[in-house]
Amino acid sequence: MKFAPLFLLISVAVLIVLPWLVSGSMLNAAVQMLIAALFAMAFGLLCGQAGMLSFGHAAYFGIGAFAAVHAMNAFGGEGLLPTPLLPLVGGATGLVGGLLAGYFSTKRTGVYFAMITLALAELLHALAPHLKTVFGGEAGISSFRMPAWGIGFGGLNDVYFLTLVWTLVCIGLLYLFSKTPLGRLALGLRENAHRLRFLGYNTNALGTLIFAVSAMFAGVAGALQSINIEAANYVVLESHISTAVVLNSYIGGVRVFLGPAIGGAVMTFFGHVTSDLTRVWLLYQGIIFVLVMMFLPRGLMGELVERARNPSAEGVAQTLGTLLMRLASLAIAAFGAVFTIEFLQRLLSPEYRADITEGNWPDITLFSYDWAPLSIAPWAIGLGLFGLGIALATLINRRVAARKEAQA
Amino acid sequence: MALVLGAATAAQAEPLKLALVETLSGPQASTGLLYRDAVKYQIGKINEAGGFGGAPIELLEYDNQGGPVGAADRVRAAISDGADVILQGSSSAVAGQVTEDVRKHNLRNPGDEVLYINLGSEAMELTGAKCHYYHFRTSPNAAIRVNTLLDGMSEAGVLGDKVYAMNQNYSWGIDVQDNTAAAADRLGFEMVEKTLHDVNKIQDFSPYVQRVQAAGADTVITGNWSNDLLLLMKAAGSAGLDVRFGTAFLDQPGNIGNAGAVAEGHFLSASFNPEVNPEKTDAFMEDYKSVTGHYPSYVEPTAVFGMMLLQGALKQVEPTEDGLNASDLAAALENASVETPMGTLSMRGADHQAILPMIVQEVSRNAKHKSDGTEFGFVPVKVISAADAEQPVQDSCQMKRPG
Amino acid sequence: MPFFTEVSVDQILFALLNGTIYGLLLFMVSAGLTLIFGMMGVLNFAHASFYMLGAYFAYTLEPLTGFWMAIILAPILVAGIGILVERFILRHVHEHGHAHELLVTFGLAVVIAEIIKMVYGKFAVDYRVPVELNFAAFSLSGIDYPFYRLLMGGIAIVMFVAIYALLTKTRVGIVVRSAIYRPQMVEALGHNVPVVFMGVFGIGAALAGLAGAVAGAFYTTNPNMALELGVMVFVVVVVGGLGSMGGAMAASLLIGITNSLAVGSDFRIADLMAFVGMGGWADDIGGLLTMRMSSLAATLPFFIMLLVLVLRPSGLMGEKE
Repeated sequence: MKFAPLFLLISVAVLIVLPWLVSGSMLNAAVQMLIAALFAMAFGLLCGQAGMLSFGHAAYFGIGAFAAVHAMNAFGGEGLLPTPLLPLVGGATGLVGGLLAGYFSTKRTGVYFAMITLALAELLHALAPHLKTVFGGEAGISSFRMPAWGIGFGGLNDVYFLTLVWTLVCIGLLYLFSKTPLGRLALGLRENAHRLRFLGYNTNALGTLIFAVSAMFAGVAGALQSINIEAANYVVLESHISTAVVLNSYIGGVRVFLGPAIGGAVMTFFGHVTSDLTRVWLLYQGIIFVLVMMFLPRGLMGELVERARNPSAEGVAQTLGTLLMRLASLAIAAFGAVFTIEFLQRLLSPEYRADITEGNWPDITLFSYDWAPLSIAPWAIGLGLFGLGIALATLINRRVAARKEAQA
Repeated sequence: MALVLGAATAAQAEPLKLALVETLSGPQASTGLLYRDAVKYQIGKINEAGGFGGAPIELLEYDNQGGPVGAADRVRAAISDGADVILQGSSSAVAGQVTEDVRKHNLRNPGDEVLYINLGSEAMELTGAKCHYYHFRTSPNAAIRVNTLLDGMSEAGVLGDKVYAMNQNYSWGIDVQDNTAAAADRLGFEMVEKTLHDVNKIQDFSPYVQRVQAAGADTVITGNWSNDLLLLMKAAGSAGLDVRFGTAFLDQPGNIGNAGAVAEGHFLSASFNPEVNPEKTDAFMEDYKSVTGHYPSYVEPTAVFGMMLLQGALKQVEPTEDGLNASDLAAALENASVETPMGTLSMRGADHQAILPMIVQEVSRNAKHKSDGTEFGFVPVKVISAADAEQPVQDSCQMKRPG
Repeated sequence: MPFFTEVSVDQILFALLNGTIYGLLLFMVSAGLTLIFGMMGVLNFAHASFYMLGAYFAYTLEPLTGFWMAIILAPILVAGIGILVERFILRHVHEHGHAHELLVTFGLAVVIAEIIKMVYGKFAVDYRVPVELNFAAFSLSGIDYPFYRLLMGGIAIVMFVAIYALLTKTRVGIVVRSAIYRPQMVEALGHNVPVVFMGVFGIGAALAGLAGAVAGAFYTTNPNMALELGVMVFVVVVVGGLGSMGGAMAASLLIGITNSLAVGSDFRIADLMAFVGMGGWADDIGGLLTMRMSSLAATLPFFIMLLVLVLRPSGLMGEKE
């Protein structure tokens, strides 16, 4: 934990020099990752800190996005709202939306709260196609980034730095917020709202305020996306955007401050890279969701922090050794699984099925080798490696458990 | 000597890169993958004939993950990977985003422009309010679809007097509705009612069927696709409603298979039918099957013909040392025309909308090529030549030309 | 100012009939979900995926076993999958809280949809109503009413009666109901609570599978089925009351009938305002006020859901929180 500020400093430094380190399309992905990270952080405030699981956060992201697009068209990048200040509009509308929605939603708790947020978002999503002046129909509303403050904002680098500055500032503000009395009370809401009420606090008002702050930052994220793609479309209000931010936050870990940001960045990067590599990347994404929820319930950051806080009595070398062996066995299992899935995908695809003639099943090319589907080779490799990896991981777990018992 | 040097320089120029930005995964991927097959097929043919500038053309594929946001991201990635032409066709929403992104990129990077070839998105605004010099649509648009459909059905005597316009509530559906209304006087029918319903949300169409019956319609003209078309037709069929459907997308794979006999007797206006010009068409169909593994259907023939138009235009362009000059290609495309198995496909310079023949067809047991492994297929009823199918340029298109 | 287009008794009757049958279909799919939520507190995102699996299994089995066996076997297969899911996946996540359970089922829904796309292709498959069942039951003012729709409604009603009887009249039902409130006590009495939960999950999945097997033939069977029905099922469960079977039936019928009536209506809010003389003003404002009820039909369920959640969150017939 002492290393945390150092890690942070290094990360920020890397982010600042990123445009000179990576290619254009990677930088593009980086902008998306930043936006996803900010959106997840906004969600994390509501869910991780205040314990209120919202299923409709896409609504506030979308409100911010549309507000920014209309502002871009109205002000043309000058006057009161030059381009760099546009996210303020997103934040302001998100705040107002959050106050209204939060007032109704926070009247209830738990599942009912989640259902109200879902209903509000779905209602907005269902109405949006009909309100064409605001939401622009299925082609959305388009705008143009104008130069301001001497910067062109035409190229990707300018957009990247704008997004980076806003994301870092907002995450910093969220951190400071968590240290304020209101931020502390959020934790109270999560732990024991009943007790807070007895202490005299108006939990409905508290919940509404926190909801509004969370929606504000979601609106900023939406505005950043509008600036990035110079358009806003009502597909941004769809339910899978809301579920995506929930998943990203939980995969990163909602109980750790930066967890949601890491989750958002990692999953966006994953989607970016795999969607061009394989047809079934959504399958892999779904599998990752299930596996992380089952085996890493605290999320990536959460598990990391947990291990760092409670180091086992084994010492660094042995822990690292175990970790490496675990990773290796999981990598073997993963390779076997990916091989099998990719092979199956090609085997079952309509192109291949059309190629099959009487008794003749042509070879399938995978990883630059040809495999005959009727022979044992590809199945042995795929399933075999998968089984091997799982067996090794189980063995390692058993050894570690036995060691722990021996010490106890 | 100069010729050899010249050829050598041309061969070392940047190879031409075409970027397909399509929905290759997620709920709407079925259509996107068909575009991919069609584009790959024709690029294969272009490369067999020598490619561009002596080098094969490269196809870069990008999955826009089903939406305009992903598409914007991918267009940028494609341009930074060196693509000169963006290809897309399956979704009007995505097309709206891509055409704007391309236009803005070209504004900001004069001399470094990219082209956008729209192989299948039919919303009117793409060659209307959103038209620009570097966008080309090689497929029909709503006006062409609806007017040819109505003309064909009217000539075949099946249009009747009362027409009901049932459409999805977004730009494409509204375009179909408006064009149906505009043709009423010309063809002598009455549009008894029009309905716009939510897109892809409705499971139970029986209330809508009830409205059709109450209005006493003879024909229902609809631009619906996917579930919206299938469920509407099945609901009408099971209610025993005696109406004829005139559609734009009845040939989507799975529709005939799912609807079965319910689909018999309904009409479609499309830019391809396997029974027209059989000598050329059979050869095309067999060749396509040998390369991709299935006969071309639905959006594939139109996309292939669009790529053939591109191929023709590329022959008119000289590669420079930096590879392709987009403005040269645009100028060539503007005046391009190509002979497809259906007839002549040409580009109209005023709004960059293709002029192409349309075939009004009917679902029947007598078809030579059956759909979805059923006993039904599409039989051509009337072939409308490119000139007759052409619809006027929209006033909203104010294209700014370079120079 | 006409609220409906040419209202006649026949048409209202038809609208009610259509709405009722659609509502019964919704009930078939949501019955399992409300059962599972009521028993285990798990809001199963993958429930609509079980619906889809039922349809695809029935489609696969039909050429081999005939239609009737297919719709009996398909739910059994789906129940098997449900039991496996509960035993090997959900059981690991119970202890981490409801959010984790929800998210695991969401991941599962994605995995199921992708596997179906891989195996059966991305387009709709031709799973159709068998010819012997494809006839009209009766005719009303020129419109036929297909027998199969009545069959679907009948199956839904039988399902309702059967579950209700099972839960209230049998020993198994009493054990299951007690396990919600006092799982430790039930365990102390010697019942195997984890097995009970597994069974309940399996039955919930089977119900969804049966709904899919039956409805998939009439509507379309395609890989997006789960998405199409998914949100509506949540609306029904919430409006009806989480855990209440009767509530689910009431809510399904409510949503089905209002949808049916709304589609037939050209009513606009501006028409209502015309009664107080503000019609012209409303027409000028446009937007929401001038939208026809028929176009808004799909948004009505969410309005209802919101109303219920704010006024009476436990739902129409759920228990007070």
